[in-house]
Amino acid sequence: MTSTTMQIGSVRGQNTTFTVGWAAATMDTLNPTAMTLADGGAYNVIHAIYDTLVRSDENGSPIPGLSVSWTYKDPTTVDFQLVHNATWHDGTPFTSDDVVFTINLFLAHKEFPLMRTYVQTMKSVQALDKYSIEIVTTKPDATLMDFRLFGLIILPKHIWEPIANYTTYTNDNPIGTGPFKFVKWGGPNTFVQFDANTNYFNGSPKFDHLVLRYFTSYNAMALAIQSGEIDYAGPLFTPALVPTLTSASGVQVITRPDPRYYYFDFNAYPGGSGNPALRDKNVRIALSHAIDNVALSQVVWAGFALPQNTTIPLALGDWVNPNTPSYAFDLKLAAQMLDAAGYKVGSDGVRVGPNGVRLALKIEVPSNYAEEYRAAQTIANWWKQIGVDATPMITEIGAFADNSVNWKFDTYIWVWSAGATLDPDWFVSMFQSTEAQPAPNPGLSDSGMSNSTYDALYQLQISQTDPNQRRQTIWKMQDIIHQEAAYVGLYDPLAVQAFRSDRFMGIPAGKLPPLNQFATNNLLLKIGPLSAPVATSQTMATSMTESTTAAPAMGMSTETLTALVVAVVLIIAVVAFAAKRRKSPPKGR
Amino acid sequence: MVNVTYVAKKILGLLVTIFLVLSFNFYLFRILPGNPFTLLYRGASLPPEAKRDLNAQFGLDQPLWVQYLIYMRNTASGNFGISYQTHASVLGLVVPSLINTVVLLSVASAISIGGGILIGMIAAWRRGSRIDVTFSAATLVMYSMPTFWLGLVLLFVGVIYLGLPVGEMWTISFGTVDMLTQFADLMRHMILPLLTLVLGLVGQYVLVMKGALLDVFTEDYMITARAKGISNRKLLWDHGFRNAILPMMTLVALNLGLSIGGAIQTETVFSWPGMGLLIYRSILARDYPVLQGAFLMVTIAVIFANFIADMLYPFLDPRVASK
Repeated sequence: MTSTTMQIGSVRGQNTTFTVGWAAATMDTLNPTAMTLADGGAYNVIHAIYDTLVRSDENGSPIPGLSVSWTYKDPTTVDFQLVHNATWHDGTPFTSDDVVFTINLFLAHKEFPLMRTYVQTMKSVQALDKYSIEIVTTKPDATLMDFRLFGLIILPKHIWEPIANYTTYTNDNPIGTGPFKFVKWGGPNTFVQFDANTNYFNGSPKFDHLVLRYFTSYNAMALAIQSGEIDYAGPLFTPALVPTLTSASGVQVITRPDPRYYYFDFNAYPGGSGNPALRDKNVRIALSHAIDNVALSQVVWAGFALPQNTTIPLALGDWVNPNTPSYAFDLKLAAQMLDAAGYKVGSDGVRVGPNGVRLALKIEVPSNYAEEYRAAQTIANWWKQIGVDATPMITEIGAFADNSVNWKFDTYIWVWSAGATLDPDWFVSMFQSTEAQPAPNPGLSDSGMSNSTYDALYQLQISQTDPNQRRQTIWKMQDIIHQEAAYVGLYDPLAVQAFRSDRFMGIPAGKLPPLNQFATNNLLLKIGPLSAPVATSQTMATSMTESTTAAPAMGMSTETLTALVVAVVLIIAVVAFAAKRRKSPPKGR
Repeated sequence: MVNVTYVAKKILGLLVTIFLVLSFNFYLFRILPGNPFTLLYRGASLPPEAKRDLNAQFGLDQPLWVQYLIYMRNTASGNFGISYQTHASVLGLVVPSLINTVVLLSVASAISIGGGILIGMIAAWRRGSRIDVTFSAATLVMYSMPTFWLGLVLLFVGVIYLGLPVGEMWTISFGTVDMLTQFADLMRHMILPLLTLVLGLVGQYVLVMKGALLDVFTEDYMITARAKGISNRKLLWDHGFRNAILPMMTLVALNLGLSIGGAIQTETVFSWPGMGLLIYRSILARDYPVLQGAFLMVTIAVIFANFIADMLYPFLDPRVASK
């Protein structure tokens, strides 16, 4: 379809559109104060339209956004010099009044789910002059620059001040200072359209229009990038689709470690209903010796994950302690340790401990990470060999989360994902003893770990604004988690993304996946049409011919192809059988 | 000729049914394990106070019967509340999704019903022949194919070999587009999901029509009519079809009502923003207001469809006298 008024994500003359496919959480709201999830689909949209004081570079470090520079007057006071030439999309100039208004708004409204987190440590803000402000925090906060300010969207005072009810305000025509102007939202589960903000203070984007398309199926999105309907696809293709993507012509595949990690958790909370054997540290250590995360990363992710023992994703770089030991995979040692802990093998092959506690454990997997079920099965097989009766199972995510906060499980496999930052604070917060609380007010902990040294170190690291000192603290904390055997670290999956390198160029280097929850603007500001236009006549027909000459069985796994062949054979067989019959049709009775 | 008391009693019955269904749904959703804010809390590094505040903001910390009364009062006055996830009005979410679903499913249903009736009639008339066995077997095979898989296969073939779009309802455009092009665009986007749905749906209509017609063939009046020398065509249509269509009507009415709930598998494969996708997402997020609003729509649709069927029945079959 080559209508001149419609652009299907390709390069046509001067009017270029960059179309991004996104198959994670969909776009749910245009109102930043209503945002709840840091990895919800709204995040990319909001951050394309609005700006923050500082933003993340490709490695998670803070670089200037609406602020040009900042200085710490003392550990709790930071002065920011703001840009002078930023304007709101309706032409109004941006000044320090907007920043002061925004921060005070968030401080006053505890009901803004996400935004309140970003001002949590702030005490006050004031304008020093037209283009500088001062923020005072309640105590020194090491996460201010590389976490809280990454997400603190600056709103236009002249539009938001008069609003009566922020909760129901739909913000249908969002006005920000960001690199893209909002054009249209097709409704829930559909796309968002933007025009480039050619007046953007940091330089105009290199293309004219942006489209964010939400897909509900990675299979469909793989087809879309093959056929050319989209130019970039992510954020997390499954490894099974990698051969499809790499064999498609014009498509380049990018794999980088994603800032998240999968872990195996023991419910050791004394007030919970998990198997009491898990409250014995020696039992946990023994069981840790019976989990081989290197093998699991092959089984579940076919090598598309980095095995890790620690409890901070490898993607976070040098926050990860390279010297934290691990419990080597050794079934004999595990069996010996269980014996020593008092769990002798009974007549039915299952160990029984003091007080008659049977080592029968459930290994649960949440339904939205069903691929980990194979890991659970593999672990169960290992554990059966050392006398543990392990039952792997998939639990629906709502019930799974319920079990977690109510401490009603034995062990499970789950994920921790960077909310909107590469700051390590999030990843070390759930091991505090204060986070281990019973329902109805549970904390983040799901291990029940309670170690006073750790708690003290946590309070220390959050106030250490010197990154070198803080790193030492964070490293020590990882060692303690290992000694407590709270978790068994499993792996950090690679984010697999795809992009039409035959049309665009400018993928940012760095360690973050280009399309990710919180630094996508690095991609959007750097990407531009290929300077030597190879694909000026990129129509649907061209994509078709390219695709049909590529490798066969594209987009289809062997199982699907087999099933298709079986179905066709079945139909042919039925027809052939029918052809053999020679009865004449009855004409009533 | 329409009896006012009869209609009034019917309508009263509908309202009672709706009330009962709403109440049942209300408790059903809240019995599900899981709280709307448990997962949000984990994903967003929200402080514990945030979860408590969210609970309070949406009234989830009240006793269940208080929540129920508030819900009933609001619904009766047309206030369907806002989504927990997006804070958008529930009607604003449900109505566009409903329209998208109706667009797709009405066409799919029409083709399936029409095709099912025709194929069922041919299969019944030529029972035992090659045509009958082929059609019956083929529709059965397609009926038993998993929709998700069928959709993906069609998507693959359609996109790679026929250049059809990968999903959704529209091609994104950055200028004004005339109505004809828009309509053509919608058609292009609808072909594959339509095909997926029709292939899956037609089977049941074929079976029911064929079965109903075969039953009619055994009736005495069919032998009488044939003995009177009535032509094959008149026999099939005036006598066979008009009697066999009655059980079909019930099935059609029921299915049309239920189809408002959307076709979740098809909508997922083709990213079609309809009711199925909305309901599925809301279940995962435990978004009670959206679920209640969506299920209310489905309830009303099913009841309304049955009501229409009830009203139409006497016209199709004059033997049924309405009291």
